[in-house]
Amino acid sequence: QADSGVGVDSWRGNKLDPSAGAASATTDARGMSWLRPDLRRSPGGHLYVCPAESPQMQPIGEWEYAGRVQLGYLITFGDDANGHWNRYVKWDSGLILGLLEIALRRPEDGSYADIRASRISDDDAFFQAAFGRAGSYKVEAFLRELPNVVSGDARSIWSGVGGNDLRLIGGLQPGRSSSAEVAAAAAAAPRRSLEVVRSKTGLGLDLYLTPQWSGYARLSEDRRRGARPFGGAFFYNFVFAQNAGVLETPRPVADSTINMNLGLRYAGSAWRLDFGYDGSFYRDRYTRFDFDNPFRIAPSQPGASAPPVERGQFATEPDNDYHNLRASLTRRLPLDGEFSLSAAAGRLRQDDDLIAPVNCQGLFGIDQDGSGQPGPANRFLYACADWNTPAALSRRSADLQIDTLLLDSRFTLQPLQRLHLRGGLRFNREDYRNTYLAYNPLTGDYGYIAENAAPGSILGGQTGIWNPFAARSILTRVRSIPLDQQEIAAHLGADWRLSERNSLGATYTFTRDEPSNRERRRIDDDSLKIAWSNRAWERLTLRASYTWLQRGGDAYDYRLYAPAYSSSLPGFVAPFGGLPAPVVEAMRKYDLSDRREHKVDLIASYALREDMTLSANLRGDFNNYAAQIGRQAYDTGGISLQWDWQPGPDTQAGAYFGYDRSRLVMANVNEEVFGPDPRLGGETFPDTARWWAYDKQRNRSAGANLVQRLGRVKLDAAWNLIDSRGITSFRFNSPLALAYFEDGAAALQGAFSPLRYRVDSLTLGFSLALTPRHSLRLFDYYERGRLQDWHYQGLQAGSVIDHRVYTDAGPQSYTANLIGLLLDIRL
Amino acid sequence: AQTREELARELPASDLSGGDAAQAGRRFLAAPGFATARVADNPLAPAAAPVGEKMCVSCHQLESEHFTHTLHALGLFAAAKADARIPVCETCHGPGSAHAQQPAAPGLILGFTRTSATPVAQQVKTCLSCHAGGARDHWAGSIHQRNELSCSDCHNPMAKFSGEGLLARRSINDTCAQCHNDVRQQFNRRSHMPLAEGQMSCVDCHNPHGSLTQPLLKTATVNETCYQCHAEKRGPFLFEHAPVRDSCLNCHTPHGSNQHALLSAPVPFLCQQCHSQLGHPNDLQTPASLAGGAHPDERLMGRACLTCHAQIHGSNAPSGPKFHE
Repeated sequence: QADSGVGVDSWRGNKLDPSAGAASATTDARGMSWLRPDLRRSPGGHLYVCPAESPQMQPIGEWEYAGRVQLGYLITFGDDANGHWNRYVKWDSGLILGLLEIALRRPEDGSYADIRASRISDDDAFFQAAFGRAGSYKVEAFLRELPNVVSGDARSIWSGVGGNDLRLIGGLQPGRSSSAEVAAAAAAAPRRSLEVVRSKTGLGLDLYLTPQWSGYARLSEDRRRGARPFGGAFFYNFVFAQNAGVLETPRPVADSTINMNLGLRYAGSAWRLDFGYDGSFYRDRYTRFDFDNPFRIAPSQPGASAPPVERGQFATEPDNDYHNLRASLTRRLPLDGEFSLSAAAGRLRQDDDLIAPVNCQGLFGIDQDGSGQPGPANRFLYACADWNTPAALSRRSADLQIDTLLLDSRFTLQPLQRLHLRGGLRFNREDYRNTYLAYNPLTGDYGYIAENAAPGSILGGQTGIWNPFAARSILTRVRSIPLDQQEIAAHLGADWRLSERNSLGATYTFTRDEPSNRERRRIDDDSLKIAWSNRAWERLTLRASYTWLQRGGDAYDYRLYAPAYSSSLPGFVAPFGGLPAPVVEAMRKYDLSDRREHKVDLIASYALREDMTLSANLRGDFNNYAAQIGRQAYDTGGISLQWDWQPGPDTQAGAYFGYDRSRLVMANVNEEVFGPDPRLGGETFPDTARWWAYDKQRNRSAGANLVQRLGRVKLDAAWNLIDSRGITSFRFNSPLALAYFEDGAAALQGAFSPLRYRVDSLTLGFSLALTPRHSLRLFDYYERGRLQDWHYQGLQAGSVIDHRVYTDAGPQSYTANLIGLLLDIRL
Repeated sequence: AQTREELARELPASDLSGGDAAQAGRRFLAAPGFATARVADNPLAPAAAPVGEKMCVSCHQLESEHFTHTLHALGLFAAAKADARIPVCETCHGPGSAHAQQPAAPGLILGFTRTSATPVAQQVKTCLSCHAGGARDHWAGSIHQRNELSCSDCHNPMAKFSGEGLLARRSINDTCAQCHNDVRQQFNRRSHMPLAEGQMSCVDCHNPHGSLTQPLLKTATVNETCYQCHAEKRGPFLFEHAPVRDSCLNCHTPHGSNQHALLSAPVPFLCQQCHSQLGHPNDLQTPASLAGGAHPDERLMGRACLTCHAQIHGSNAPSGPKFHE
């Protein structure tokens, strides 16, 4: 299991009991202490919960054990196949193991063994076992099955879902079917869900070698299997009606990642050392994923013909190896200080065999003269044999690597009783090793076969190939772009203690990012944060901070990608009228543009009474981007209140309310002509074609819970609501800004229908202690979800629209109910 | 006349059970993790002397019963049997004689609650005397330390409240939600990671004890943190998508979103914040382009841009520079 410093899998529970048993334990009616019947509060002012009844340990020789098993039966009603109801849980109706918990102790030397398990269904279960000796060693193993339903309403026109070779169903002919035929096949296809199940297994050892030296070794495998909605591009159907193709294929997810963490730590009174190695090895079962294209794709040029485009392909994510060696050295300093130096060197590497540029057989492209013979006279027709083989690649494997280096030093000092000082320097670098040249040694062409050869089968010259002889003016991508990056950061801060429990802090941070191949080569952030922490008031704890950040940098050069295009190759001849502007020069990508940020954070807790707490969060983050085109503003803010009441061991209640909003403002400009003028307001990008979009989200959360014990009976109730609403609106200077001119006839603004997500869930439970060792719990979990996402508006009526196939019909509203009967037996 | 202090010092060792239990303990050495445990230093009671846990239990009997079922207790009791120098209660609470004489006087025993007089810095120092290093290597100067959090704001070793980690609440997520409930509520949104379902916790990505990054990430960068579970996105890819390689947070909001797949804005507008090339990316779409509209358009329906640019995290296909393959 991870500790909070390294690794994942730090918690194993499920939707039946996210607390992995703690919430269903019986609280000790005697409370925490006889000396002080009231509950204690943490230094931050939060009530500690009431402890559970102490387990009745039963002796077995030198050992003693206690255990508990919770068996149950669940039954679900209503829309229980809904994707969202089952998102990260697999509520199969039937028998379940709610919880198995066994604790073995040997007080004599502190040895112990623990088992915890739960199984809701085959795909939703965990088992973990640990044994060790307190303060000496711990060996732990775990198995987990984690479901993730990514579409609850899918229809596939392909068979073989979950595999890497999708074939059409219903008698559809690859590359020859009409839209109506495909729509009929889709309508006849059974509704199903698409999901990805993670199976995790892990083994870990934590070991004290001496009181100062400790070590850990962890090995885990994270295996995924399933399918999810994906894609498949065959050029623009929005331009070429009854032609081209856009396919949302169900791609396979079949991979495994082996993760390894090794570490050696030393914690002495003056020095501390932390050496660690993290390794992660990702393997995808497939290197490629192929699928049938149902649609007939034809040249737009009258009289010409095109061989059918029958297949599409993807390269799956490459197998990759990750290594990271790190060391941290910390020395205690006088004045209650510390100085630490950390270094880490990492490598991300992959050398997958590359798939060929295209996976067709025979010919592809446009047969202009009907001869079926590629050649200078029929220059847009190509032989698949020249491109469907690894021999058509400049190199056959990826051979790519990123080397990372991190150096970090920081200090803290307390020169005065009331004054803390702290500071640090950080250097982080990512170096790309190798780039890729898209060149075909068989033909001497540069470039690639775009979108499974569909564009080149519709429009001459759109294949994606540049050739110094036959296609000298084609602009296409010929090189990959390495994204080396270097970051230098420095921070200096001080905290001044006004009184024992009241302090002010200030931190100045400077960060310089230097990406090698981005529109800016230097991005500087200056930020100042002031913070106030006050626990001086008897009942109130207040922690507030304000952060100001200013981002700037060098000149913004949008032309830097030119070397990656055929225009940079010798022999390239600019087309008549010059190369079109790659982008409007006023565009500022928001991860690079000048920005000013104001951020406010307030966290407070107030003891209303001895047994009652009210806590609150107030948060605001306001970002202004100096961009005429691109993101212009992104503001988020909200308030959250939480009430907690624990009058005694038998009663625990809570409620919360949260309200937050976000506003994103962006601007863009359409082009009037495909011209070389990059200026905003120029000939290519006229002001009349400018437009703005506003995405406003509002979320309301609320909830209440009550647990009340009345003798042998325990009642529990929990209600949770999230009510989210998003409006995406837009305005534009003239219909020239629009994808479809006619849409601008009525008004110069508009909005999409609200994005709605409202989920009400109510759980009511009744538990009865039958005997001191047996209790029965009957509970009902009702959930109503109202989901509306305008992206999927109209897709439920039919998932095939002209040459577009959508597998996922999108989120669906649901009302579902689950009744459970659980028998809790103390072993 | 004898002062109370002299009397307290002369009291017999409170191990009233005689020598046999101590003798039986010698079969095992103290576990290394507890071997150097000693009575904690309490600057507010410099004259106090240790009194042994039996003295403590005589008053704090219920606390002791709950404490007994924790791993701290299992280790300390076993270590104390093996090495008489190792205290149990006084390892964390400091010498008990002054407190035994004036139980109501604040500060004479190291306390870890709101009303205890022990300064937070002293509380933390006591815990770090055993737990320094490793995951807590960068506690000094971390945002939780600067905000005067004590170990006992998140942990409570006096009883077993949670399945793992001697937490103050029933789970890691409930513990963090004491202060960060606004972030916890984001995990109820439409797309979220399975935190609310108990399958992961805040500590899978963050190290609350301090780290080398400002948001307390467990690794050196945002991306390396995400790659821990999403290794397939690690690449490097033949054709990279720059903002993806720079930071996953350029497009995703990690705690929860009402958009698909934790996106921070609806596609295609999310993409159109950066893409204004000629041709199809910079057109403003209207609802008329949705399914059932006047002119359905694949750039808006379903997963919009991602239906064609499906390999948006990077492509390893020689024909994938625009993430189509």
